[in-house]
Amino acid sequence: MSASNCLRCCLLRPSVVGRAGATAATAKASAAATARLRQGMPLAAAAAASFSTTANRGANQKPKPGTKAAERNAPPSIRQGKLFTIKKKKKNDSGARVKSPLPGERKAFRKRILLSNTNALPVPGLTDLGAESMLDPSNVCKVLSLPDDVVDQLRADEAFKTTQCWSMFRKPSILIRTETVDLITRMHAAAKTNKTLRLVLTGDRVTGKSLMLLQAITQAHLNDWLVVNIPDAQELTTACTEYAPILDTEPIQYMQQNYVLKLIQAIKKSNEKLLLKLTTVFSHAGLPQNIPIKSPLMQLANSAKEAEGAWAVFQAMWQEMTAQGHGRPPMLLSLDGLTHIMRISDYRTPAFNPIHSHDLALVRLFTDHLSGATSLPNGGAVIAATNRNNAPRNPSMELALAQREAEQLGGGKDVPQPQPYLKGYDERVEAVLRNVQVIKLQGLSKLEARALMEYWAASGVLRITVDEKSVTEKWALGGSGVVGEMERASLLTMRF
Amino acid sequence: MVVSLPLPITITITITIPIPHPPSPVFILGVNFNENKLVKKALESFYALGPQTSARVMAKYYIHARAKVGTLAPKTVTALTAELSTMTIENEARKIVLDNIKRLRDIGTYRGRRHAMGLPVRGQQTRNQISNARKLNKIERKG
Repeated sequence: MSASNCLRCCLLRPSVVGRAGATAATAKASAAATARLRQGMPLAAAAAASFSTTANRGANQKPKPGTKAAERNAPPSIRQGKLFTIKKKKKNDSGARVKSPLPGERKAFRKRILLSNTNALPVPGLTDLGAESMLDPSNVCKVLSLPDDVVDQLRADEAFKTTQCWSMFRKPSILIRTETVDLITRMHAAAKTNKTLRLVLTGDRVTGKSLMLLQAITQAHLNDWLVVNIPDAQELTTACTEYAPILDTEPIQYMQQNYVLKLIQAIKKSNEKLLLKLTTVFSHAGLPQNIPIKSPLMQLANSAKEAEGAWAVFQAMWQEMTAQGHGRPPMLLSLDGLTHIMRISDYRTPAFNPIHSHDLALVRLFTDHLSGATSLPNGGAVIAATNRNNAPRNPSMELALAQREAEQLGGGKDVPQPQPYLKGYDERVEAVLRNVQVIKLQGLSKLEARALMEYWAASGVLRITVDEKSVTEKWALGGSGVVGEMERASLLTMRF
Repeated sequence: MVVSLPLPITITITITIPIPHPPSPVFILGVNFNENKLVKKALESFYALGPQTSARVMAKYYIHARAKVGTLAPKTVTALTAELSTMTIENEARKIVLDNIKRLRDIGTYRGRRHAMGLPVRGQQTRNQISNARKLNKIERKG
């Protein structure tokens, strides 16, 4: 059979010319047809094809009478009527039946945090963070790793996020930025003078706000501070956890028992050493368990076993942790996702009125400390990070933060003013943010970017030569060094 | 600086999964609900109880939007049952609909007649697409 599939051969399909003599030897017919074409004769009499016509010819051939094939092809007799045949279902032989995941398995997989990758190369000369490392300006533009025990504490605090690229490296490490030293210096200055640093980390998306918060928490752990971290404020205000009114509060406040129980367990795990060391100084009534004075704080924390009494235990713990004059360490109170607590929550009162986030007791505790209405008597810091992805519209917070930023820069006239015709400003939000410090995170400097890229390259995940050209390229691709975008351009792409 | 990536890549993942326990049913207004069912869904399974009412009922008893039936305290379940029993839902609500149709029929209105004939009531065409009318428009209407 001819291998070419030219127009000429296509014209000679058996369907067109087959009736004239489908059974003729194809090669012969093809040659004949070509000859006719050359001579300008009509094609109708030709019978040939440039491709396989076996199936076609098979279909045209009548089976031999008496064979099974003939019976199958024979038209049904009139007496037989219509036959209804059910095809047998084919078994799926391709593999065993796929077992669907158990309840909670998908979520666990989605929320897992991988902090180490044995395939990544260990970075030579990588040192662990010390208690003073992040205070030292000479450490700017260096990548330092987190000590193992702090990693465990950070894990308990849920300071690592699934969106961060920890799983690509051998050991969780962080880049010390100029802003890091600035923030940590402020934290220390506050703790030394028993004052409270009240600060909001803001900036565009993926500029490293959550990571800066992680650095602050790390510093707190390294210096034996007490740490209370609310990893995702969204969980508090989107009506996804139980709530109940607190009696004797006016206007009425609401506790979130289940969340508080979870928080107590996190505090217990991350501050274990301190809680075992510190002892209670007050007697507390109304707890699920009687805790005598001078028993370790851990015992108090352990008394919260059910959601029922969790709020009372949390209050008692807070009282103990912030007791003045009993040698309590400074404290870090941190929260990620500030936008979510600066709005009206999804919870409702029994009269079906919306509950403002600041009427939720745990949120109130945070906002009171952030606004400065209450302070941490033993010094410390209250740090909140805004979130840009999945953030509700929040004009008051945006405005207040922009105003604080402008004030810090000393621009008297350039302080933004509220738009006169815009609805949706919230006085309560403005009141909380009237007096806070703001650090606005922007892109990395070229030097910082270079340090980070060298660390990536040394870990074997960035396979290019790190020189001025490549750094500038990635820095520019990342929108002037926005760290998350740089990561995206360099690590999360298959095009190296 | 060029560093070669060692191959092949293997990543071991350990995940802790909460062990599911067999669901125990919860009774609300005599109806048996799986404990994994959302309270909102459970409430809205009653005839004549829609999203608006269910949201209000839940707010009244401090039940958050994503609560599941299994997490409700027995006290709350009892209170919910008591609350639902005072509301015109299920058979009472069905009876109201039936009475309305019956009234239309009894006073001989066009709407009543159309109901009785199982045809659209509000002037729709009847050439096709009237399966809902055929299904629902009856004197002894079900559902």
